[in-house]
Amino acid sequence: MAIDTTQAYPATTDAAPIGTVIAPLSATARGCDCAFTLLAWACGLLGIALPLGILGFLLVEGAPRLSIAFLTQAPAGFPLARAGGVAPAIAGTLALVAIGVAVALPLGIAGAIGLVEYAPAESRWPRAVRFGAECLAAVPAIVYGLFGFAVLVVAFAFKISLVAGGLTLGLMMLPIILIGAEEAMRSVEPSLREAGLSLGVSRFNVVRRIVLPKAMPGIMAATVLAGGHAAGSAAPVLFTASVAFARGAPTLGAPVMTLPTHLYYIVSEGADLTQAYATALVLIVGLLLANGCAALIKRRLAR
Amino acid sequence: MTTAAPSALAFSATHPRGRFSDWAARFVSRAVLALVILILAALLLEILREALPALGTALMPGGILRGDWAPVAEPPRFGLAHAIVSTGMVTALALALAVPVGFGIGLFAADIAPSWLRTILQPCLELLAGIPSVVYGFFGYVTLVAWFERHGGMATGESLLVAGAILAVMVLPFIAGVSVESFAAVPRLLKESAHATGVTRLHVLRRIVLPTALPGLFAAVALGLGRAIGETLAVLLLAGNSTALPTSYLDRGQPLTALIATELPEAGLGSGKYHALYGAGLVLILISVAINVMVWRLKARLLRHGD
Repeated sequence: MAIDTTQAYPATTDAAPIGTVIAPLSATARGCDCAFTLLAWACGLLGIALPLGILGFLLVEGAPRLSIAFLTQAPAGFPLARAGGVAPAIAGTLALVAIGVAVALPLGIAGAIGLVEYAPAESRWPRAVRFGAECLAAVPAIVYGLFGFAVLVVAFAFKISLVAGGLTLGLMMLPIILIGAEEAMRSVEPSLREAGLSLGVSRFNVVRRIVLPKAMPGIMAATVLAGGHAAGSAAPVLFTASVAFARGAPTLGAPVMTLPTHLYYIVSEGADLTQAYATALVLIVGLLLANGCAALIKRRLAR
Repeated sequence: MTTAAPSALAFSATHPRGRFSDWAARFVSRAVLALVILILAALLLEILREALPALGTALMPGGILRGDWAPVAEPPRFGLAHAIVSTGMVTALALALAVPVGFGIGLFAADIAPSWLRTILQPCLELLAGIPSVVYGFFGYVTLVAWFERHGGMATGESLLVAGAILAVMVLPFIAGVSVESFAAVPRLLKESAHATGVTRLHVLRRIVLPTALPGLFAAVALGLGRAIGETLAVLLLAGNSTALPTSYLDRGQPLTALIATELPEAGLGSGKYHALYGAGLVLILISVAINVMVWRLKARLLRHGD
């Protein structure tokens, strides 16, 4: 007669899925395990609920205050932003980021080419530069503001202006784009490069025709990440470019309004927050749209 | 190194024009690289140069590392103590809240979550990381600060408590992201053989998963720490901008970043205040570089583990 093991070892009879009980466990162990699983679920659900909650809150509060006029008019009223819209702030933010990308993207790509393609073999430079770039990517945004103020605004006498702010943002984007471009170029299969070189194609043409097109989606992703980060940060432009009110199209030598600093000025004034909701919503939706577009383009390029 | 094998250059550019463009590209890209390094070095040196006058007297009475912030006193004192304490308190609270939840999210995403939930969680964390600092500040202002004003019995709802809580939400995606990676990098074989011995999930976590993932988890905390120390706009709007030395989380305070943002527009060029603020910037740089060195070391160790 077979010994009845099912009582002592309830789950040994057939192949048990991983994680099920195959030996009797104490009630404490089972209780702790259950509590742990519940806690992990709670954390995970919190991670989903927090961003959706914040976004939902801003949508519910901001959407009714959003209108075509809000997007196309200058702010008006006293204290500022009682009425009117945020058009100059949108234009200022776009201009700042455009200047920053125009400076940082070519420098970042050329620097990455120097690191990945033209560094002497066995050189320690790539690692050292990578380390420096990672340090600088981690330096707080306000420190870039300090640097931009001391060098661009004061020493170069750009004053508080679009060009000073744009260059400051470009500087802030540079390490992120450099790291992103380097990673993207390193992840291009070596066999492609070697095939080109073995046919007698110059290294420059291999880079131009093979490596860069292959690495483009990665470089784009890093650029959008850096640009979005720059567009949303007020700290570097607070002393280098921004002003509470500006009229007309942004010009290089004049200060501009930006969306993040506009929101900051409204909130710190503390008088009337109705427009702040709509401004925050415009900023976030703009960043989400930019990210969405980048994802689409990336998918198309990757094909 | 496959990318820069010297033998590959011997093959390249038989045509003279190709040889020239190759030479030019190498020259230009190396020059740009040098320029990039130069710019980045200039950033550090410039902050140091502007901070230098304040560093000489840093430890004397009234220097930036001693005494209080009293810019209108005679002689003016520019002590950063209140700002350093505020930064420390806010950061500690943010990490105390965000680290357990971040690790929880990491475990959840790596081991527990059904795959459809995992695909939702990832973009949600990216969304959380993508919200600008000033929007977090605004959000905290209209929710937590307003709540404390109504129910907390405080004159203004701004406090280190509120700033730390919002900061926790801001650093959460960074901590969670890195810990998801390091939990997911624990070899499947280890986990499955442990499970096969019939112990609970918690036991496997404690004895197998945690020790293996530990360097990655340290890196996650360090990354969150760096983020929390450097955040400006959120703490500027929420911490209350008070130059008194905070003694409790219900006090108002002024972290280093908020101090710089508040005072720089009013600091005369070359004044004591100006140099003291660059001293604050230097403190921020030093902390972030130190953290980065730590992360770099941990990463190197992680890579060795992966082999």
